[in-house]
Amino acid sequence: MFIEYTWLVPLVPVLCFVAIGFLGKKMPEGGGPLAVFGALFACVLSVLISYEFFTSSAYADPGYVTAQITWFSIGSFDINIGYYIDSLSCLVMMFASFISTLIFVYSIGYMHGEGAKKRRYYAQVSLFLTGMLGLAISSNFLEMFVFWEAMGLCSYLLIGFWGFDHPKGDDATDVAASAAKKAFLVTRLGDVCLMGGMFVLLYEFGSLDYAAVFDASAMAAVDPSMIMLGSLLIFGGVIGKSAQFPLLDWLPDAMAGPTTVSALIHAATMVKAGVFLVARCFPLFTQNPEVMLFVGVIGGITAFFAATMALNNMNIKKVLAYSTLSQLGYMFLALGAGGYMMALGMQTHDHHLMAIGAIGYTAGCLHMVNHAFFKALLFLGSGSVIHSTGTEDMREMGGLHGKMKITSITMLIGSLSIAGFPFFSGFWSKELVLETVMHAGDYGAEGYLFTIMWILAIVTAFMTAFYMFRMWFMTFKGKPGHGTEHCHGESPKSMTVPLIILAPFAAALGAILLFGFDEYVTIGINHVGEFQLGSGHGHGLEGWLEDIFMSIYTYLTIALVLAAIGIAYFMYSKMSVDPGKLNKNGSSMIYRALSNRWWFPQLYDQIGWKLGNGVARGVEFVDTQVVDGTVNALSSAVAGSGDSIGKMQTGNMRDYAAVVMFGIVSLFAVMLVLFYFMGGA
Amino acid sequence: MIPIEVYLIFAAVLFAIGAYGVAVKSNTIVVLMCIELMLNAANINFIVFSAFTTDVLGQVFVIMSISVAAAEVAVGIAILLNAYKIKNTIEADSLTSMRW
Repeated sequence: MFIEYTWLVPLVPVLCFVAIGFLGKKMPEGGGPLAVFGALFACVLSVLISYEFFTSSAYADPGYVTAQITWFSIGSFDINIGYYIDSLSCLVMMFASFISTLIFVYSIGYMHGEGAKKRRYYAQVSLFLTGMLGLAISSNFLEMFVFWEAMGLCSYLLIGFWGFDHPKGDDATDVAASAAKKAFLVTRLGDVCLMGGMFVLLYEFGSLDYAAVFDASAMAAVDPSMIMLGSLLIFGGVIGKSAQFPLLDWLPDAMAGPTTVSALIHAATMVKAGVFLVARCFPLFTQNPEVMLFVGVIGGITAFFAATMALNNMNIKKVLAYSTLSQLGYMFLALGAGGYMMALGMQTHDHHLMAIGAIGYTAGCLHMVNHAFFKALLFLGSGSVIHSTGTEDMREMGGLHGKMKITSITMLIGSLSIAGFPFFSGFWSKELVLETVMHAGDYGAEGYLFTIMWILAIVTAFMTAFYMFRMWFMTFKGKPGHGTEHCHGESPKSMTVPLIILAPFAAALGAILLFGFDEYVTIGINHVGEFQLGSGHGHGLEGWLEDIFMSIYTYLTIALVLAAIGIAYFMYSKMSVDPGKLNKNGSSMIYRALSNRWWFPQLYDQIGWKLGNGVARGVEFVDTQVVDGTVNALSSAVAGSGDSIGKMQTGNMRDYAAVVMFGIVSLFAVMLVLFYFMGGA
Repeated sequence: MIPIEVYLIFAAVLFAIGAYGVAVKSNTIVVLMCIELMLNAANINFIVFSAFTTDVLGQVFVIMSISVAAAEVAVGIAILLNAYKIKNTIEADSLTSMRW
């Protein structure tokens, strides 16, 4: 009843995009309310679709509903367009549209002073939401890729929103424009990989439909090494989109855009697309344990490196950007570790191992949802702070708690959640992630890599708690700075209300999802040997509590988190410990490494200059010398010979007559000679 | 009876004279006349072979050839007249504008 209308979910926001794009100037607030309506419509419809799907018989078997029409055909390949609803699409659809609705409402307050540019902003964010929703319901890889690219385009446009006329002057304009370019080009690098992966799949499976590719018998018939190649290429696209190591550097730069855009990119859309794709391709990726090992290791390294970079950053938004990278790393680590165990379990037909592996999937997906809520809350909160203080530098904040109580308390909730403070959302999913990774270390020949990743992840959990509370204490406690004096009190209602709505979700959603709905976020092999999302057996409240609290390592993490919060308190709130002593007032090697982002930008530049320039020079040489040379030589040879032969055309009739006669005489001579020698008549 | 070789040598000499004229003469009227010479050399060959093989087909061919030659001369003279109107000369060396 509602599922048939799934196509409306991305269609309504895209219609809003068109309407705002053309008519936004005449609408109130540049079309903001229409954008909110589009997102809200998508949200309500997503909830209805999800409810209908979860109560339908298709949910139990085969676990998805799909319908499609032929888009175009090339030879024997049919490319379809349609929708594919399973528990993962429902999950992504619901949280993306819900959070986007709140962000759009918040934007009305935050972007109020932007004047005519608001039309552009609301049109683009509507398209951005379309991209994410379309991605979630796509029924095949090519359709997914179209929406994937739409998001890439919107991220470029929105990060560079102030690129033409930045409120903070020309330098900031340059920064915004180059950040937008960087985001576009870096993600483009991944997209090329993703395209390559799609070609591999199309070649091997003859179809790009999820239902056809994830079919167990189809996967069994295909050469595993080709599946591995396809999976790795697809993951290359994910690395670009979700800003994983080594393509992680665009996301911190993307902070040049408006804060609401950052919230949108980090919480609801864009970077979550990568996590979604890995979860979506779980059946494919688990065909090879090595692929999942790679996913997990990339995630673990990203989680660790990004967290270190957040430790000493002074920009409130950049700290949050690094924390996003780090949390995304957690998600990939969980998916990788879970998938690794699942893949090993499938090879050895070990159902116990597969069940443990499935927890990794659950952990990754739950962390994705939890992260969406607390990161949206944190970004919107930081936006509220920036809005009222006029600065992003945390050294100029401080002591804001008294002036902005709502922002302060909601951000505290978000920080507690992301730090993994016990019983907040982030705690549950993070514990599951850590537990999965720890288990993965016990299996397989390369399992020890996961043990290393587990240690990194625990250190990351400590660092996360530290930098999040460093941020909170520096902003809301401690000595007031210039920005605090400039602060004119709490932000308008349209900004605080979304914060107040998001706060309980960020605090409690993790527990509700884990204890009440865990069976919807599982993956397993059903009775016909196919992968199936959802309708697994939930562990239930006691199962999970036992899982989490029977492990001694849980208490280790809790202790580390509490210690980190304590250190942050003494350093930045009570000021009894001077952080300057630890880093020799910013001159120690490691401090400089961190503030230079481990020299990643320089590395990119070096690669760009040395490699890119070298390749370009080589290509230029081939182009100007070899290609052009061949063509020029050919043409001048033709022209030259034509010129010289043309001289024979004297126009003098007697010359022609002489030539003709000479020809005839020679012909006769040749024939005579031939007759003479061949003995003809 | 005069042997056939005499006729053939006569025709060959006639043809050679015509060919020489076409190649070296600059007056186009003379060139046209030389072409007629070559044509008639061929006609003589036709008649000679016809007479020596008692096959009349050769003579029929000559009648045909003479009528075509008359038409050809008419066309040639017409072209030369027009060329003379434009160029004021019919010297072959000056009629060289139809080239690259």
